[in-house]
Amino acid sequence: MGEAPVLRTALSISGASCQGCAKKIRNALEPLAGSTELVEVNLEAQTVALPEGVDVAEAARIVTETGYPAEAIAEPGAESGSCCASKKTTSCCSSKAQEETHKPDEPAAEAASATEVPADGDAVVLAVTGATCASCVNSIEKALMSVPGVTHAHMNLADNTATASGDADPQALVNAVESAGYGARVIEDPDSADDRKQEEDKKQYKVLLVKMAISLGLGLGLMIWGMGFGSMMVTEANQLTWINLGILTLGVMVATGGHFYTGAWKAFKHHNANMDTLIALGTGTAWLYSIVVVSIPEALPEMARHVYFEASAMIIGLINLGQALELRAKGKTSEAVRRLLDLRAKTARVIRDGQEQDIPVEDVQKGDRIRVRPGEKLPVDGVIAEGSTRIDESMLTGEPMPVSKGEGDEVSAGTLNTHGSIIYEATRVGSETALAQIIKLVKKAQGSKPAIGRLADKISSVFVPTVMLIAVVSALVWYNVGPEPAVVHMMVAATTVLIIACPCALGLATPMSVMVGVGKAAEYGALIRQGDALQTAGKIDLVIMDKTGTITEGHPAVTRVHAVDGDENRLLALAAGLEQHSEHPLAEAILARAKEDEVSVEAVTGFEALNGKGVQGEFNGEPVRLGNRRWLEAEGLSVDALNEAAQAITREAGTPLFLASGQQVLGVIGVADAIKPDSKAAIERLHQAGIKVMMVTGDVDATARAIAAKAGIDDYRAEVLPEDKAEVVSEMRGKGYTVAMVGDGINDAPALAAADVGFAIGTGTDVAIESASITLMRGSLHGVPDAIEISRATVKNIHQNLFGAFVYNSLGIPVAAGLLYPVWGILMSPILAGAAMSLSSVTVVTNANRLRLFKTSQPQVSAEERN
Amino acid sequence: MTTFLVNAGGLALMAAIVWWFWLSGSNSDNSDQHH
Repeated sequence: MGEAPVLRTALSISGASCQGCAKKIRNALEPLAGSTELVEVNLEAQTVALPEGVDVAEAARIVTETGYPAEAIAEPGAESGSCCASKKTTSCCSSKAQEETHKPDEPAAEAASATEVPADGDAVVLAVTGATCASCVNSIEKALMSVPGVTHAHMNLADNTATASGDADPQALVNAVESAGYGARVIEDPDSADDRKQEEDKKQYKVLLVKMAISLGLGLGLMIWGMGFGSMMVTEANQLTWINLGILTLGVMVATGGHFYTGAWKAFKHHNANMDTLIALGTGTAWLYSIVVVSIPEALPEMARHVYFEASAMIIGLINLGQALELRAKGKTSEAVRRLLDLRAKTARVIRDGQEQDIPVEDVQKGDRIRVRPGEKLPVDGVIAEGSTRIDESMLTGEPMPVSKGEGDEVSAGTLNTHGSIIYEATRVGSETALAQIIKLVKKAQGSKPAIGRLADKISSVFVPTVMLIAVVSALVWYNVGPEPAVVHMMVAATTVLIIACPCALGLATPMSVMVGVGKAAEYGALIRQGDALQTAGKIDLVIMDKTGTITEGHPAVTRVHAVDGDENRLLALAAGLEQHSEHPLAEAILARAKEDEVSVEAVTGFEALNGKGVQGEFNGEPVRLGNRRWLEAEGLSVDALNEAAQAITREAGTPLFLASGQQVLGVIGVADAIKPDSKAAIERLHQAGIKVMMVTGDVDATARAIAAKAGIDDYRAEVLPEDKAEVVSEMRGKGYTVAMVGDGINDAPALAAADVGFAIGTGTDVAIESASITLMRGSLHGVPDAIEISRATVKNIHQNLFGAFVYNSLGIPVAAGLLYPVWGILMSPILAGAAMSLSSVTVVTNANRLRLFKTSQPQVSAEERN
Repeated sequence: MTTFLVNAGGLALMAAIVWWFWLSGSNSDNSDQHH
């Protein structure tokens, strides 16, 4: 691979809110950087990366002139120390290096992740082993936070990964987790990490089953032998046998449950206590008591000479069984991601030097021409260069019908070519592809923790030591006021309390449901970016929608051309001349009409788009303006002569665009945008869910009213400037609504960010819309009720899980302590406690998996309706 | 005597748990996140 220039974050910018802005900046900097490929715009961080050696001051001036105030960033590296100067892989500065230095082509994966989703890019992800419960989560997060440079740490028990943000040394993070009693390694390549984890999980599953069989076999054997042939009481005759059995039990405990003891010891050294602590103490107490009984039986009253070796072995066996079942169920929860990963093609048929050759997909470079035959998957993102076909994009967008694609159309990796043979040019490869971005977003959201989960963590951090205190108190109570043999009762009560109280169910309750819920949403084409959005989406009671591209198709068509002097072709020629520089949907409509009418487009120069007003330029030395009435009137022009034509346009739910040359108004062009076929049904679903729907649009009142009436919208605000949409959102939030904003992510970015939950409507290839917390990959509005329904179901599932876990512990502990004994004479056996504890985590995981069967209320739309 | 020893041992154990997990642990970095 050729040596690609190194890019450095050189400018800090403001006001760039969409991919259109990024494109403008790239184009503006092209002469300076040599190619648009060498300019990377990070919308989230509002920075621009440029090749080394580029005049940064000049670049800042150009970007500022383009409309985005820019400042040069001080040369990086000055404050980051010498270690960053050598290699980007140097561990002490890898995160910083990832953020600030990357090559555009070579490690495309890292470059993309660092610029597109920086929240991920500067974080180190660790694969953690040995974490089993909420207390482990707490211990690991505490350990990571204690490492200098870590700003945020998060452990996800559902997939056993820990993420640390900041600029800490990855090795220091691994050391911190290891010294807290767990295993850790840095995940360098998340994709191969998935495969590796799957392999490891399979192996671990088998190991746990073997361990379970050994310990449960011994425990059951002892129990059957004790009950059937001998006795669990120590006598002179069987003392030696019991001593031997005690030693055998110890061996089995160490062999099959050794990890509990080492985990408990490591945690103890760090003043932490976790599930291992409880298991180690519980089984250890039972074994120690039993070995004292068999070694010096005369020290205890005759009634108390009972051994509990079988309890220690069986508890370990049952917990191993529970963990094996849990591991298997956990694997299912990440199915959504695995399905996405499976979409990736392994090879690509690349045409180089006129020769077609199959190469691994990792070796495909930007600009390569790739042939895809019918029935094959597309390996990377690109633009069709030759041929036409129908592409099945359902795996990315959920859209069931294959979409027609021809030359110049964009296609995405992971989609299926169903019809013709095409040749397309690769534009995005590696982790820049839409599919890679989707996988990344889903994974990130699956690992995030909603507020409700953080509460569970807080509780569990004090839970284990509290349980230990309860165990001692119950032992003392049994010793002082319990019936004989008091020693046996105190030991049984303390052991049972320790065993039953393991907070594993509590630790799994939230992450399991989040993982399934986020995966389910992805199946429906809704990418949830944070766990918090998942929780908030369920509470939404007002949905504010943008009109163009959200409720309507976003591809308006010209419905009427009315020139003051009757020369409609000239009007269209000038309007098209202006709009040919614009990327706005209205511009496309005017250009399409000009092409249709075979009107030759005038050469308008000095194009400028004014947000919420219109566009302007210069023709024959005169300023030419095309825009809304308010703007032209503000510029001192009167459009009264066009009132009748404008009213006719608005009655048809069209938008009147007035064209003026100098101070003379030339005419009006009506552009109307059809409502998407399923918008009304989606809005109806929101109503049925008890949600109010409001529309905000820059259109005039009459157009807005016509659209609102047609789509069944409760309320609307017309003539709202893009920057005022955010104010409408804030106003409605101020009135007590939990507001969702749905927009196409271009002009709506501030409003999306201001809402409780922002839904960005994108297409499959436009998923990285930065400002929204949920991205809908499909253009349909059904994604909004889908996401809300899934969110409600997920939150309900989390509540059930937490409720179950809390109830289990709050009922289990008093019963284990012997609260039922005075009334019914019931004292729970430690073996039963072990089974109950395993059952509680299996129940939580199973309940979370139930979510996988959830179906939204979306009606099945027939192919005819879609077409 | 045994009763006294068992109870005293129990109380000492409880004190040790409180001291080890809550009091002595809080002089480390952990305490910042803990509270």
